Amino acid sequence: MRSLRIGPFGITTHRRTFVVGLILLGVLLALLIFALVVGKANIGFLDSMRAAIGISVGSPGDFIVGQVRAPRALTTILVGGMLGVSGAILQSLTRNPLASPDFIGISAGAGTGAVLTMWLTSGTSLWVTAAGAAVGGLTAAFLMLVLSWRRGIVPLRLILTGIGIGFVAQAATQYTLTRMDVHEAGSALAWLVGSTTGSTWTHVKVAAAVLAVLLPVILWHARALRTMEMGDDTAKALGIHVNRSRAILAVCSVLLAAAATAVTGPIGFIALVAPALAVRITRGPGVTLIPAALLGAVLLLVADQASQLMPATLQFPVGIFTAVVGAPYLLWLVWRSSRGGQA
Amino acid sequence: MRKRALIATVALVVLVVAVGLSLAIGARSIDPGTVWHAIFSFDPSDPEQLIVRDLRVSRTVIGVLAGAALAIAGALMQSLTRNPFADPGLLGINAGASLAVVISLTLGIGGFAAQVPMAFIGAGIAAVIVYAIGARGAAAGAPVRLALAGVALATLVTSITYAVLLVDDATLEQYRLWVAGSLTGRSADDVTALVPIVLVAIAAALLVSRQLEAVALGEDTARALGISVGATRVIVIVVVTLLAASATAAAGPIIFVGLAVPHLARALVGASLPWLLIVSGLGGAALVLVCDVIGRVIAPPSEIGVGITTAFIGGLIFALMARRMKVVEL
Repeated sequence: MRSLRIGPFGITTHRRTFVVGLILLGVLLALLIFALVVGKANIGFLDSMRAAIGISVGSPGDFIVGQVRAPRALTTILVGGMLGVSGAILQSLTRNPLASPDFIGISAGAGTGAVLTMWLTSGTSLWVTAAGAAVGGLTAAFLMLVLSWRRGIVPLRLILTGIGIGFVAQAATQYTLTRMDVHEAGSALAWLVGSTTGSTWTHVKVAAAVLAVLLPVILWHARALRTMEMGDDTAKALGIHVNRSRAILAVCSVLLAAAATAVTGPIGFIALVAPALAVRITRGPGVTLIPAALLGAVLLLVADQASQLMPATLQFPVGIFTAVVGAPYLLWLVWRSSRGGQA
Repeated sequence: MRKRALIATVALVVLVVAVGLSLAIGARSIDPGTVWHAIFSFDPSDPEQLIVRDLRVSRTVIGVLAGAALAIAGALMQSLTRNPFADPGLLGINAGASLAVVISLTLGIGGFAAQVPMAFIGAGIAAVIVYAIGARGAAAGAPVRLALAGVALATLVTSITYAVLLVDDATLEQYRLWVAGSLTGRSADDVTALVPIVLVAIAAALLVSRQLEAVALGEDTARALGISVGATRVIVIVVVTLLAASATAAAGPIIFVGLAVPHLARALVGASLPWLLIVSGLGGAALVLVCDVIGRVIAPPSEIGVGITTAFIGGLIFALMARRMKVVEL
């Protein structure tokens, strides 16, 4: 174990977790540089770096790196990190590696909110659409909590209720799609599969603001989260306000997932895969929030770069990429867990 | 026995009433007398009778067909996987059929005759995958696990469907109407082709139901009774595939009918599988028709596809089922 102390704040961390975190950070930086430098337009390494931090290098570098590649890469990293943390909290709270906000109706609710907003405002402003998505995600989460509340929250019931809410939300989305004209429906569909194409600095600002507010709250309760994994009684004995901490963490997880959906559209499976892989790599004793965030960012950035490097006829949004890779992983998880291990 | 027969009779009466509603209610309400004449003493010069004959009869037949097929498929899946949350829509089987239909639309294989076999292939592949996962191990799939496997499969298949649609606007136009689960998209001739398939599948389901009941009690019990466990399972999966694919090809992906109806039926007739299948079939047909009628009148002048109505109602029923379950059952 290793302790980090910054003033009154202290984080005790597993040595291997710490090393893995550093390595992941390095990988993420390398990938970020790759994302900024490599692309169809050939812009030199130094020019790319300068343009990315806002130093003018003249056309076309200013636009291509400064307004296209940099916001896209940063949005991808932030959203990946948000999804990773959101999934890690949910999996820890439910003690179930299969839990993920994309399957319990939060992303679906955000999708409904966004498509409804696109329909009502004719899709003029991405900013308005994003606000609609946030409202939809929060509404779904609220409904889920109300419907599954029976003298407290049982995680598994929450998951099942969420799946039901997800179907209701998808029905509402499908209905809205049938009411739009075909061009609007096409762009709504493109948003619904999750895409980082066309990210602007506004997207980066929204994602960064949400993370800046929620991350400190989450880290403040990280010890409670880890302790609750040992059982409610143990946590209570160690002085944790179990119900309060659980409620705060659950709300943070929902808000992160809804905000991520608001920014890029529902991108599946990152919230599922990143925390599970993080636990596996760190071989830590429990939930590992920071590695999950870093891994989420790394995975989404890799997927996004891969989707850009595909030949033109196969350039699908990153959401399709993550689903095609992530869904078999989830099926494998379920298949393996049915061999007698825990679900 | 007498109680079950009585319940089946009541279900039949409910279905007949639903058929009557489906024939009479719509953008233009038609009085029951005219409906009666349209069917039994048709007068082609009366426009109202024409509406009934041309539009509402085929729509009603599709509703009955799809509803009965989905409810029976759901009851079979629940018994096969010993899992109360099994439903061909929820488990991605309908999504598999949808993907296959979208691929055939994109390839320009127009026509219903080509789409149906494609739907069977798609549904069959999805059914095998989900069954392999859901029924594995002695614990036979906790509800949460099976539901998640289904959602994962459905997400994967839907993503691929979207990928196909994003590159093909013309297919998107056809798809978005079909996917909402509409009973109006098919002509009467198309559907007539599906009737024998569904009837044969339902007959097979009833014939195999006693064996499936024994298998659900445990493999050893079934073997001791001289029942071939493997053959029973294969037959059931084939029947489920036929039913789900027929329903999807006829009416688009309709979800939750296979979940909600067998649940209600089980509460009424108990665990006896043959009776459960009969009552589920009647109830499923009635539910789809009622949902379709609701969709016709709720937002005039436009209509809401029956798939949307059932997903809306069914999603809530699903959430309430989850609420009622005891913690240990999850």
